Amino acid sequence: MKVAVVVQRYGADINGGAELHARYIAEHLARHTEVEVLTTCARDYVTWRNELPAGVEKIGGVTVRRFPVARARDVHDFGRRSTAVFTRTHSLSDELAWLESEGPTSHALVKHVASAADSYDWFVFFSYRYYHAFHGVRAVASRAVLVPTAERDAAIGLAIFPPIFRGVRALMFNSFEERAMIQHVAGAGDLPGVVVGVGSDIPARPEPDRFRQQSGITGPFAIYVGRIDENKGCKELFEYFRRYARTMPGGLQLVLVGTAILPVPADPRIRHLGFLSDTEKFDAMAAADVLIMPSYYESLSMVALEAWGMGKPVLANGRCDVLKGQCLRSNAGLYYESYAEFADALYSIASSASLSQGLGRNGRAYFERHYAWPVIERKYLDVFSQLSARGASAAPAVEPLPGFFARRARTVPAAEDVLGRVPAGAVKP
Amino acid sequence: MAEFNVRADEVNVEQIMHQIRARIREKRGVDYTEEQIQELAKIKLEKFLDPRGLRSDLLEQFQRAAAKDLPPTYEFDDQTLIRSGNPLVAFIRRLLQPVLKLFFSPNPLVQALHYQTQINRYLLERAARDVLVYEVMHNLVVEMTRTGIEVKNMTMRVESIAGRLDFNERRARALEAVVQYKPEGREEHGAPRGGRGFAAEGQGGRGFAAEGASRGDQAGRASGAEGQGGAPSPRGDQGPSAVDPVTGGESLRSRRRRRRRGRRSGPGFTGEGRETRDEGRGTDEGRRTGDEGRRTGNEGPVENVLEHRSRGDDQEQRPAEANGQVEAASERASQPDTPTEAPASEPDQS
Repeated sequence: MKVAVVVQRYGADINGGAELHARYIAEHLARHTEVEVLTTCARDYVTWRNELPAGVEKIGGVTVRRFPVARARDVHDFGRRSTAVFTRTHSLSDELAWLESEGPTSHALVKHVASAADSYDWFVFFSYRYYHAFHGVRAVASRAVLVPTAERDAAIGLAIFPPIFRGVRALMFNSFEERAMIQHVAGAGDLPGVVVGVGSDIPARPEPDRFRQQSGITGPFAIYVGRIDENKGCKELFEYFRRYARTMPGGLQLVLVGTAILPVPADPRIRHLGFLSDTEKFDAMAAADVLIMPSYYESLSMVALEAWGMGKPVLANGRCDVLKGQCLRSNAGLYYESYAEFADALYSIASSASLSQGLGRNGRAYFERHYAWPVIERKYLDVFSQLSARGASAAPAVEPLPGFFARRARTVPAAEDVLGRVPAGAVKP
Repeated sequence: MAEFNVRADEVNVEQIMHQIRARIREKRGVDYTEEQIQELAKIKLEKFLDPRGLRSDLLEQFQRAAAKDLPPTYEFDDQTLIRSGNPLVAFIRRLLQPVLKLFFSPNPLVQALHYQTQINRYLLERAARDVLVYEVMHNLVVEMTRTGIEVKNMTMRVESIAGRLDFNERRARALEAVVQYKPEGREEHGAPRGGRGFAAEGQGGRGFAAEGASRGDQAGRASGAEGQGGAPSPRGDQGPSAVDPVTGGESLRSRRRRRRRGRRSGPGFTGEGRETRDEGRGTDEGRRTGDEGRRTGNEGPVENVLEHRSRGDDQEQRPAEANGQVEAASERASQPDTPTEAPASEPDQS
């Protein structure tokens, strides 16, 4: 069996959520079957400029084929088109133009997928919203497995995507909330697929003392790992934590790990360590008392899973359905939807060792039950074998795009309106 | 904030979140977020004010005023009547104006209408101000709502803090009580309990301190472990052998001794001091105490009266002094070579 993993960016130093997810899956599936990665030459997800050489290379033992991007993203054009399709009634043609504008527009990649369809048994496409996934799935629908990595944002309400969700052979969801959302948007009762997620290579013996020595951090602390960005809820986190720190002198510190796009406030209780290697990151997480995940939009949150894998409790933003659902299903994290809840939940975790340990133990058990690599690998392999057993004849055909005039009819509702009608909330166990 | 004490298999996040939310509600009353406050500010006044609760038709009037479309006004001056778009017509009118004035006087009419325009303008401005007043009132109501919420929150917090203060005070008292046990513990190690009773007895005349010490020593030895940790007796922890069961605590021997003292030295204190010196002889402390006894005896019968009056009560009234004597007695009692007389080892119940 030969599997192609098709993803917008790929590299050892590319740490975007979906891209990292794709790399982990490719590397772990490569232990069981032949895997090739098909990707672009882009490194930057904002511009999609060609920064890496086109051609074949090996990363982590996996063959990677890179294809050039036809043009870099025009940020202003993309913004204008996004406003048009997200907030106003528009046409399918507008959406297709939006997709082109979003990128990464790599005709060569799509052409290769179409031409080499017979060379691979399965194509695993990552991130439904990008050009490569939309056109790639349309080119090889009968062999396409989609990992949507969908978040609750307006793009899910665009009309071009439901045929894709209905047309692939299987969907590998990250969470139950994602599955419920996509099923609602696609208008199909039961889409073929399974909730899988992704595992993580957690070191068996992290060294929290080494981290404390290197960073000079003493005392208990909460940790945030990820891009320090307003979109990730960091602004609210800073506001809440500073308020909390004023009312709880001498309590937890907040340690931030990751690249800062948002300015980090100058506060003696907030420490920013910048980007850390995986080893340092796991040491830091092992030393922390709790991981805070303030993001509003997450399709999975690998960092939260890693914290649970290390037996650490998580305090998550309850306005993110996925995070809230994960906390409820795992019984391993608390969540907040206001400052009062943030303060009370954080204090409860920090002050009650039994609660903190209980949450941590549940988290570890949840991680091992659902997100350990053998479990993840087995789920992928089972899906491939089941699809192979059914044969290509069972494959649904992707609905063709409407004709010239129908595509230009301005009758498609604003994506935000569609999203507003999608039921929200965590899927309870 | 309350703490959780749970086991891993008991952790139910949903339940914990319910508890947290209930606690927040309890602590703060109805909690409004900043977004909710802003939303409240956008809502019309009638959402806040219950019209049935108003004694006047204030709300109705405001609503009516706000709903009314303001009428257009006009300009009126001395040229308005004869002004025309056609210059020829305007010229003829101006030419014939003196003729018109022959029929009636247009000036008061023009003046009145001019004033009327000013009044109209004023009224329109006032109507515009009424809208502002409505706005201000609306904002006042919103602010009052917010203030009310804050007052409620503050009240809850004050109650919470008062509760905590009360708890802390009780805790502090409890801790103080624990600390007070420490001197007793030291006594238990340093001196037999009998010593306490003698020292207190010795308060009336200091000469009794030595006696108390030697008696304490004797009593401690006589009663064995009783002085180390036995159940404390109600008065002075004397050994049971020293208590006369017939007299209810006063031994025959001591009564006999008191009678003897009375015969030898009369009601004064001197004899008692001498007796004390005799009882304490053989030790430096005893001699010193004897001297003190003599000095005390020279002070005359006033001291004697005091001694008799306060011998029992002073145990309660001067604990520090008694403690000092206890320590002195303890030190002495711990000296193994101190010779003591057998009679003196008997506790004196008087």
